[in-house]
Amino acid sequence: MKFNTRKSGGGNRLVMNMTSLIDVTFLLLIYFMVSMVIAKPEDRLNPTIRTQDASASGSEADFQPQIVEVILVSNVPTYRLGQHDLATAEMLLEKLRDLPTDLGVFIRGGDGVPVGFAMAAIQAARDAGFDQVTYVPIE
Amino acid sequence: MRLVPQGTRDRRLLLELTPMVDVVFLLIIFFMVTSEFARDARAEMELPLLPGEQMQQSEEVGLSINIDASGNILLSAAEEPLNLDELKRRVELYVDGEETPRITIRADRSGPMGVFNSVVRVLDESGVSSARIATEIPR
Repeated sequence: MKFNTRKSGGGNRLVMNMTSLIDVTFLLLIYFMVSMVIAKPEDRLNPTIRTQDASASGSEADFQPQIVEVILVSNVPTYRLGQHDLATAEMLLEKLRDLPTDLGVFIRGGDGVPVGFAMAAIQAARDAGFDQVTYVPIE
Repeated sequence: MRLVPQGTRDRRLLLELTPMVDVVFLLIIFFMVTSEFARDARAEMELPLLPGEQMQQSEEVGLSINIDASGNILLSAAEEPLNLDELKRRVELYVDGEETPRITIRADRSGPMGVFNSVVRVLDESGVSSARIATEIPR
């Protein structure tokens, strides 16, 4: 930083050269503006997770299990609930609303289904009022 | 902006820079505070577009397992992809030191469920009974 002492009207005035400070400040400002990441708003689904073996162990909680399978039927992702093959999460939600929620529901996802499609089944179960949602991978 | 009165002999235009420097410093502080350095654990991906559980949840991140659209498993944006054995080792290491392990799976919505299911199996084998699944809140 450079200080100039300049005579003005008989008195000494201290003049501070701010140019370099402002340069650095603007560079910092530009750096933070460019490097800032605007984060997308996120939320969570919080299912219990189990494997196929655990869900088949026949515990008390598995009594009369309600199962939604998310599978490929003729290469098309489909929700299977009992006898019903459902094409969309909205149709699944409608069917799930008719089921008793105190028994919980198992969501079983097949390997070839897109993640977003399978997660929509967990969301539908939560929206239908199921507190106990368990995700089980299909072997 | 203050201009020096014209009566003086020094007729140079002097800019009063103090308010501008104040504002620029405030902007820098704003960008420094809002920059999310800790979000390194979040790899860039398209999460399932779902509202999630919309409940107040702990912001404690815990362990984030990212699965991108190609099926690569990443624990942070900066790390190399892991295989399942390495993932299991890292999960067990994390679970050992935690009383209530918080694990979040961030999976790209267009990716297949195969890798997701493998990760669920690894978590189950490591004694993790529930996992949070990240969703992107639709606008």
